[in-house]
Amino acid sequence: MIRFLAISFLAILVLGACSLKTTEGLRQVPFSKSEVKNPYFSNPEIDYVYKAKITVYNKNFGGILIIKKIGSENHRIVFTTEFGSKIFDFQFDGDTFTKLFLAEDLDKKFIVKILEDDFRLLVKESAKVLAVYESKEDRIYKTQSEDKFNFYFLKNEGETLQKIVNTSKTKEKVEIDFTIFEENIAESIAIKHRNIKLTIALEKFKEE
Amino acid sequence: MRNYFFLFVFIVFCGTIQAQETAMTALEIASFKEKVIASAKTTKTIKTEFVQFKHLDFLANDVKTSGKMVFKTPNLVKWEYTNPYQYSVIFKEDQLLINDGGTKSKVDIGNSKLFKKLNQLIVNSVKGNMFSDADFTVSFYKSGKYNKAVFVPKDKKIAGYIASFELLFNKDDAQVYEVKMVEPSQDFTRIIFSNRTLNSTINDSVFSN
Repeated sequence: MIRFLAISFLAILVLGACSLKTTEGLRQVPFSKSEVKNPYFSNPEIDYVYKAKITVYNKNFGGILIIKKIGSENHRIVFTTEFGSKIFDFQFDGDTFTKLFLAEDLDKKFIVKILEDDFRLLVKESAKVLAVYESKEDRIYKTQSEDKFNFYFLKNEGETLQKIVNTSKTKEKVEIDFTIFEENIAESIAIKHRNIKLTIALEKFKEE
Repeated sequence: MRNYFFLFVFIVFCGTIQAQETAMTALEIASFKEKVIASAKTTKTIKTEFVQFKHLDFLANDVKTSGKMVFKTPNLVKWEYTNPYQYSVIFKEDQLLINDGGTKSKVDIGNSKLFKKLNQLIVNSVKGNMFSDADFTVSFYKSGKYNKAVFVPKDKKIAGYIASFELLFNKDDAQVYEVKMVEPSQDFTRIIFSNRTLNSTINDSVFSN
């Protein structure tokens, strides 16, 4: 009996640890859509300018984040201080990442990797769908991202992208939440890390 | 034919721009410096509004922000952005007091030589009095509208962030009315001052977070 209990308990622990929270309680459904799209940085006519607040382990940093689509699969992402000094200047061209500028103090491999991954996730325009899940409010599209997965949460109504969750096989790593008032424009964005204490909050500049 | 016409217009246009701005003579530099230093000496406080334009070559429009700046001698400065967001920085002794839309923080710059230098640069550029700074090579220009001082950093670390630093001065009162910071990539930030009040009473409490 004790052995049975112990095995059951262990099984629950192991299974619990293996199941991904993101799709818990969701129904997998057949799908026809082969690609899921993120429209929020897809218009080359628009200068996407955001006030940024970054919190790293309870330390706060502010700045301005500027994103521009400059080619069919090409985005420039620049972060400056409020005074305008550049902190970083990155370019994504398809899968190719180029560091055009990075303040010396931040030029460390693991920092660059975090920034690269976060901003690639943010601006990536489309991804091939692996599976689709359904909840009451959302349709959730699972896509592959190297050895990880991205889950795109689209509202059933109007198919508006609300959230992207980046996961390993078993754990959520990064979540991006979008607040939308106007079609294809993200008014505010929150990038939250699960395994490190890092959040990036973005508020779109108001038009004058 | 049309192309030649545009080329002609272009050359004439560029020609006039160059003709507008010339290098100062040694005599002019001496008298200009004297005027700026005299003006800085009598300036105890400054209150001014400003508009900032961040120029990046790939953007359709410059990123525009604006706000107010307050300076009190010897070295208290408060930069406050009010549009399109609320953000202020107070430069006070060896600290930066930041209020980012209600989130307050403090940055100790005591140990950072680079930060100290940038801080000093901001304070001095507000007053205009930074010609004696050994860290820069300075050159002087004039036009009908303004006098201009261009600072090029000698320090390699600073040069990694700023290729040059330009101050534009009013001809009449020798006050700085525009600051331009050019980055090594040639992208730049322009700050243009307006509605300046000199030597009004400013309480020290303005410089606390």
